[in-house]
Amino acid sequence: MDDQGCPRCKTTKYRNPSLKLMVNVCGHTLCESCVEMLFVRGSGNCVQCDTPLRKNNFRVQLFEDPAVDKEVEIRKKVLKMYNKRNADFPSLREYNDYLEQVEEIVYNLTNNVDVENTKQIMEQYQRENRDIIQKNKVKLTREQEELEELLLLEQQGNEQRRLETLQEEQRQLLAKRKNKQALLDELESSQLPATLLLAQHKDRAAQLETQLEKQRQVVKPTIFSTGIPMGQTISLQPVVRMEEVLYQYQPLHIHTYGPPVPALEHLGRLGYLNHVRAASPQDTAGGYSSGLACHRAIQDAFSGLFPMLH
Amino acid sequence: MDTGRGSSLEVPVTSQQPALVSITTNDKNCKGSIMYHNSSQRKYWTFENEETLERLRYQANQKCRAKILSSGKAGLNESLLLDPLEEDVLFRHYEKRLLDFCAVFKPAMPKSVVGTANMYFRRFYTNNSLMEYHPRTIMLTCTYLACKVDEFNVSSSQFVGNLQENPASQEKALQQILEYELLLIQQLNFHLVVHNPYRPMEGILIDLKTRYLSLENPEVLRKTADDFLNRATMTDAGLLFSPSQIALTAVLNSASRASLNMESYLTECMGLKDDKESLSKMIDSMRRIKNHVKKYEPPKPEDVGACKHKLERIHAEFVPNTNLKRKRGYEDDDHVTKHHNIAEEEWTDEDLESL
Repeated sequence: MDDQGCPRCKTTKYRNPSLKLMVNVCGHTLCESCVEMLFVRGSGNCVQCDTPLRKNNFRVQLFEDPAVDKEVEIRKKVLKMYNKRNADFPSLREYNDYLEQVEEIVYNLTNNVDVENTKQIMEQYQRENRDIIQKNKVKLTREQEELEELLLLEQQGNEQRRLETLQEEQRQLLAKRKNKQALLDELESSQLPATLLLAQHKDRAAQLETQLEKQRQVVKPTIFSTGIPMGQTISLQPVVRMEEVLYQYQPLHIHTYGPPVPALEHLGRLGYLNHVRAASPQDTAGGYSSGLACHRAIQDAFSGLFPMLH
Repeated sequence: MDTGRGSSLEVPVTSQQPALVSITTNDKNCKGSIMYHNSSQRKYWTFENEETLERLRYQANQKCRAKILSSGKAGLNESLLLDPLEEDVLFRHYEKRLLDFCAVFKPAMPKSVVGTANMYFRRFYTNNSLMEYHPRTIMLTCTYLACKVDEFNVSSSQFVGNLQENPASQEKALQQILEYELLLIQQLNFHLVVHNPYRPMEGILIDLKTRYLSLENPEVLRKTADDFLNRATMTDAGLLFSPSQIALTAVLNSASRASLNMESYLTECMGLKDDKESLSKMIDSMRRIKNHVKKYEPPKPEDVGACKHKLERIHAEFVPNTNLKRKRGYEDDDHVTKHHNIAEEEWTDEDLESL
């Protein structure tokens, strides 16, 4: 990355951190200021390969290797023309051949292999397949339209819901006000005691509340913009579990072809260690103990002692 | 490495005893992996009987003969080649040389290294003929490899410094050792761990002192038993029996020399009282080991002279020099390739003679 620099003015990313490298269709880099200077008139030739270039075709270099930028650009252009899909072919094999051909064209153009021929092939293809290209272009836009439609639909739904809740609130407010008015009217005109009327009013108010409560359970939207119906549970079921027999430990049995060797821990108790030199402090530093040497000698002495079968 | 202290811990037998076993691994691990009973030595390098060994050596001899004869060199004659008996004479001669070389080696070489080197030498010539690979080189290579495997740390220059020669031929010898090292390892089938009877003997002596109290001082057996083991290395016992059996034979043989009867050690302490079959088999194998040792005799100088003459002629005239090919394995090592320009003259037996 450090040695990235403009081939013309030799400025590098290291010396000028704000250096912006640009790349054009030929895949050669130039820094922004060199582009400004060389292409004042809007067009000119590449410093390195003399290809005629337009200033407005310069892009900021995104990849370390400008050849990649070039390839991306070329691919974009080629795929605009080569836009057939799997459904346009009778068999998968042919579709793959087609894809292979596209890759070859991109490669050739990127690496300047057989450019004239490749361009001819492309032109020929364009002539022969004008209808399909046009059709696929349309199809592509239609798909996008569908998606937009769906989004629009959702937006409309949202708007509608908002209005509905607004109306609902208004209605509730109205109902409450009516209720209050009724109470006042009754108190004014009725013969009944006021306490009774108040109790009746309270009952009605409570009734109204519960009614509203019920209504509030609004119908929820049923589909996401991605097209997945709401509330559908995506299958998260785990893969079918394999039932296998559990590993069972079987103690290792080694046939030593000899008499049994006393265990390392028992050597001292059996008196073996009285007959070997005790380990000096220097020896023990490394984890050595006289038992180790003794045990190994006994093991070696007994291993393969008895006659064995070949 | 110095042999006295430091990286090799010695088995403390009793306070004045010479120590010989170097402890290099945690004992708990030994139980499973590097004990004799599941070693490559038991599986691949302990042969059923003497005839098997004889057959293998005969086959190696025949194969090499056929190879040389098929090359169709001028003046080639069957009588010029070594037969199995002559090979055996030379083998014993060079084996002795190997042991002598180790005996005077400076710094002093632990017994287990010597045993390992000797075992490599034996194993190598079980499947190869002396006519194909010169024993002079192989014996040094075996020793060199044994030093490495048994963690007896000497540098290569220190190693060849033990050859009483001028620096140039020492360099030559070193080069040859390195050339043949990979071949040797391959011929040993990468089975490099050798179980020698020395540690088992220490174990038996400790066991005797602990459990077999009717023997007053087992240490008196040590000297003769040591001699027995040294002589046993020069026989095929190591290729036919387990190291513990050889060690037990050494101790029992030493006891009978001192007219001590240790029969009851086998029956009481080894738990063979009720297993008459195993007991008789064991006594039988001990008798066989003893016979091997008794039978051994050093090769006669006049035989050696004649055979050596033949061998040198074979190597000089009939065996193609395959060294260059073998060198490849070391090509990457700078320290080998930079000596390429040294003249390729063979160093001879006489260089070793001064030992």
